[in-house]
Amino acid sequence: MGAFNTIAFDANKCDGCGDCMTACATAKTGTTEISRSRLQIAGNAAEGFELALCRQCGDPKCVTVCPAGALGKDYASGVIDWNGDKCVDCLLCTVGCAYAGIALDEASGRVAKCDMCDGSPACVSACPHDALKLVTTSRIYNEVGDWEDLFAPGLAGCQGCNTELLMRHTLRRVGPDTVLATPPGCVPGMGSVGFNGTTGTKVPVFHPLLTNTAPMLAGVKRHYKRIGREVTALAIAGDGGASDVGFQSLSGAAERNEQILFMVVDNEGYMNTGMQRSSCTPYGAWTSTTPVGQGTGSGGLPSQGKTQDAKNLPLIMVNHRCEYVATASTAYMEDLYDKLDKAIAASKRGFAYLHVYSPCTTGWRFPTDQNMEVARKAVETNFVMLWEYTRAGGLRFTRPVDEPLPVTDYLKAMGRFRHLSEDQISHIQGKVVENLNFVKQMAHRA
Amino acid sequence: METTKYLVVGSSHAALEALTAIRMHDTDGSLTMLTRDAHLPYSPTVLPYVVSGRSAPDTVFLRDEKFFARHQISLRRGTALKALHPARNTAELADGSQIAYEKILLATGASPAIPPIPGIAQVSYHVLRTLDDATKLNAAMKASKQAVVMGAGLVGMHAAENLVKAGAKVTIVEMAKQLTDGYFDATAAALIEKAFTDNGATILTGSRVVKLAPSSAFATPGATITLESGATLEADLLLVATGVRPNMDFLTGEGAAVERDKGILVGERMQTSVPNVFAAGDCAQAKSFYSDTKVMNAILPDAAEQGRIAGMAMAGDPGIKDYPGGIPVNTYHFFGRHAISVGSSKVPEGGEVVTRFDEASGRYLKVIFHEGRLTGIYGVNEFFDAGVMSQLILRRIDLSPVREHFLAEPMKSAREIMSLTWR
Amino acid sequence: MSTSTLEKPPSSAPAKQKVILVEGNEAAALGVALARPDMVAVYPITPQSSLVEHVAKLIADGKMDADIVDAEGEHSVLSVLQGGALAGARTYTATCGPGLAFMFEPYFRTSGMRLPIVMSIVTRDGITPQSVWGGHQDAMTVREVGWVQVYCETVQEVLDTTIMAFKIAEHHDVMLPVNVCLDGNYLSYGTSRVELPDQAEVDAFMGDKNVNWHVALDPLRPMAVDPLTGGSSGKGPSTFVRYRKGQCKGMQNSLRVIEDVHEEWAVRFGRRYAPLVEDYRMEDAEFAIMTLGSMSGAGKDAIDEARDAGKRVGLIKLKTFSPFPVEALIKSLKNIQALGVVDRSVGFRWNCGPMYQETLGALYRLGQATGKMLPAQSFIGGLAGADITTAHFHRVIDATEALLGGATMSTEPVWLNEKD
Repeated sequence: MGAFNTIAFDANKCDGCGDCMTACATAKTGTTEISRSRLQIAGNAAEGFELALCRQCGDPKCVTVCPAGALGKDYASGVIDWNGDKCVDCLLCTVGCAYAGIALDEASGRVAKCDMCDGSPACVSACPHDALKLVTTSRIYNEVGDWEDLFAPGLAGCQGCNTELLMRHTLRRVGPDTVLATPPGCVPGMGSVGFNGTTGTKVPVFHPLLTNTAPMLAGVKRHYKRIGREVTALAIAGDGGASDVGFQSLSGAAERNEQILFMVVDNEGYMNTGMQRSSCTPYGAWTSTTPVGQGTGSGGLPSQGKTQDAKNLPLIMVNHRCEYVATASTAYMEDLYDKLDKAIAASKRGFAYLHVYSPCTTGWRFPTDQNMEVARKAVETNFVMLWEYTRAGGLRFTRPVDEPLPVTDYLKAMGRFRHLSEDQISHIQGKVVENLNFVKQMAHRA
Repeated sequence: METTKYLVVGSSHAALEALTAIRMHDTDGSLTMLTRDAHLPYSPTVLPYVVSGRSAPDTVFLRDEKFFARHQISLRRGTALKALHPARNTAELADGSQIAYEKILLATGASPAIPPIPGIAQVSYHVLRTLDDATKLNAAMKASKQAVVMGAGLVGMHAAENLVKAGAKVTIVEMAKQLTDGYFDATAAALIEKAFTDNGATILTGSRVVKLAPSSAFATPGATITLESGATLEADLLLVATGVRPNMDFLTGEGAAVERDKGILVGERMQTSVPNVFAAGDCAQAKSFYSDTKVMNAILPDAAEQGRIAGMAMAGDPGIKDYPGGIPVNTYHFFGRHAISVGSSKVPEGGEVVTRFDEASGRYLKVIFHEGRLTGIYGVNEFFDAGVMSQLILRRIDLSPVREHFLAEPMKSAREIMSLTWR
Repeated sequence: MSTSTLEKPPSSAPAKQKVILVEGNEAAALGVALARPDMVAVYPITPQSSLVEHVAKLIADGKMDADIVDAEGEHSVLSVLQGGALAGARTYTATCGPGLAFMFEPYFRTSGMRLPIVMSIVTRDGITPQSVWGGHQDAMTVREVGWVQVYCETVQEVLDTTIMAFKIAEHHDVMLPVNVCLDGNYLSYGTSRVELPDQAEVDAFMGDKNVNWHVALDPLRPMAVDPLTGGSSGKGPSTFVRYRKGQCKGMQNSLRVIEDVHEEWAVRFGRRYAPLVEDYRMEDAEFAIMTLGSMSGAGKDAIDEARDAGKRVGLIKLKTFSPFPVEALIKSLKNIQALGVVDRSVGFRWNCGPMYQETLGALYRLGQATGKMLPAQSFIGGLAGADITTAHFHRVIDATEALLGGATMSTEPVWLNEKD
């Protein structure tokens, strides 16, 4: 109980073909009369298509106004069930619903509503444009809700930071038989290791050096393996330690195929210590060591943010031919969980690397309620690409963005890019295209 | 003396929604539901279907005992509220016991209004407000050959249809000039009337009953009904369905401090004039959506909404929002057809009425606009989403840009606006 | 070269041990194998390389049961071992010079976490001027980092001390990492007759493994390892100071433990080494010279010759350098009138050898106790693989003897190989 699967509609992808309605009518009435479909596409090509469909509300007004007890929410499936034996055809439910989710089927003279086809909606599989999707993210909420939160309550992250969410989800999924390494940065900074004799987690946790997370974990894992104990070795590290000063030891552990799950939370800089540049900081970004000023900075170039492009650490990890490498974003939790599951499994065989993009409200300078939006925009502009790599399957996009938004949609969402010139923006847009093409080529090679 | 944090009097939609709202915010504050009815909660709206036999009496309950146990609600059935002592925060019950409360909700509903017709006390007649009424009427209907229904509101019409279908010769007597007065306009009423007369019923509108007397023409106790015109009707079954009046007799003595008009007067959070006393549903008189006047809007969706607001107010739920005011909404199913009314039937000053009637199909549509905004919409055999239309009215959405489309395809066009505006 | 074995084996000595001919690096590897570590991490560096090659071969040949991690650098080598130790593994590695410098960050941390890791330092000079040759500069440079450091004189002592080092490190009262220092070139490649202890005897000597009772990364007893500490928690003594004092106490405790372990070794295996400070012909010495590591053999030969020439001179050899065995050293110093200290590395701050500099501290203590101001001279020799011959030692003996005659202590060190 808790969250439920739901049918989502992307109006931008709908061309009004009506296949969904035909499929629904066929499935539910045995006819192809689209007027009998329980989902109705409204609108037109000029103004866009819209949808009337039961939302399976959590607080369903159709149920509260039914005088006959014929409607009720099934708290296993989330579906609002209609009981035809009890229904007296009074139509009061259509008064309660503000979303046209339950309506009169004139052919039968009775009301009809979406029942989600027992979990495999005919409309979704019939949609040729992916405009209808069965969103199954609820699985995460429902399952994760039953797992133990292995972090102490009240970690001291910045307001609006998504890293605490990521950490809690990850450790819940990985479970209690885990040794957790959180090298210097935001993750221990918010208290995961604890302070002065307290601990921030219910699993053994340590604060490795910025430089030696992977080998320390490797040592832990190796000994448990030697003595026959199943323990997951998990790192939740920042991008700075991983891509800069800790890169050698990360690379070494990956090459040795140590059985580690190494998660990098990439907030594109040393955010915990005051927002300094790392090699993962993107071109043009303001940081406290790539400030914006009137003079010249690195390489004699104008001081207008970072003058170099970001190092693509996950692609470098692919070139280690790890057991598993993937990029992920907290704006796409289902994708992230899928990858987390695969990474956990891969870490029992060898090195698994997860690179999670983590917008930093404080260091990137955007409002604290915008974290998910910024994370989503990064993907929708292809600034960040979501993909996974396995040795057998090669590299594959898990959430391809075929019609990306202009990168300015992403850049303008935050203050660290506020100063950018047209030239800088076109450099970044060019880099997005170049990176996309590069990864596409790697994907094709698979 | 028994004490409870929340005392909810009544057990229909307003009361049930109040329970849910209270428990959403206060999971363990002591909560008691008091009802004069001996049964588990049910809806008066379902009773015509119990009368017709479509719904078995034991299948209409909206909550079971497990619900009350799960939510730690003490349910006291079969005991009416006798008097309210608001100064002492105490309710006095018909069985003589007393309950001290912190907050009380009066969701006591209404009872049939019995007209003061000479002789009425001497005749046997039916009313329909409780499940027991429905069960009795169901049994009587099976034997009836010749029935008279006084009152052509929705309760009377539903019962009349049932009697017709059961094979009785039915006469409907209504004082107003049309059937379903106040629910549907003359055109719609004519369509309804035709459906009834086509099925053999006799409709006497504009007729007043002036006298009732026992009739011995039948094996069962019957009635002789004398009309204003002097004509008489013989009935082996008489149903009095001439409206209802709110149940508020318990507001005597100290309780009289609670201000009343036609019903118990309430504010935007269902509070009465007396601290800690709330009212909702058919007994309450609350603000109208169309004006600041307080009106009786005894319809089920409004009762549920008022009950929810009252529950939130009683529990101190900070998510509470003021009651926006009620709009009349009715749906009526007759002889396989349906009539829907949403909004006010009054045409406001400067308002505009557009009607569309196709005699062949019997499809009738009436739309009332004011300054480009919808204030009411009525349809017979013209289905539209009443909930969506209510939102168009409540949100005061300007329909002038889509006016023609709206009139041509009200359901489709309203759904498009819904998708763009609040979906 | 004289033997370090000062006494005959007791009659209860075990059955005769197998005699082999090995270089010091192989002796160290054999010692490691006998101590049965669970995990060995390696990265090659001259002159340590053959040591880890021998370890790798022993494992590959099934003669040693340990997980070997070929890390990508010394920084990771020690990091892997930290992880292993925190999971309960007995761990070992070896390095020198640049490798030691590169692992400095985890090196410092090993002692702070009180992990009983054993690491050989096959001592090397450098780092710049570049040299791959022997010298104590590497080990001396990190002497202030909280590791126990012991120096060996012979190949046999390398083998025996490597085993003893695990027992010292894992002693409940110590719980500190231990460096077994063996001189690059002279001991690493010097081949010698060695008696190889019996595995069962070594097992009996070692007793139970005792690695992570005090700090662990174990889901069965979760704890936060090395969280941030403040200067003061406001709840009694500062966490940081408490930990630091604990480290210092462990270091001091190790002096007694080193003595006890050496005594047990002598009883069980018949080879007795002076655990902290060795006195050689000091019985009636008027003056003495001080040595460290493999140079001591030539030093002792020179002493024998000087004694033959009638000089009342003796030799004081430190085995344990860190913690500095002040009390034991004072006992050796209290009856002499002049001291010459020979270092194989440089103390830049004081323009002298580091051991000389440390010994000055001991002399102050001696002066406090007796009022005696013992004149002492610093000698620096054997840098970058240079030999310190008996001839060099005779220069040391003569210059030290001159202090007896009233010559002034020079603030300049004597550079023994300056003109070689």
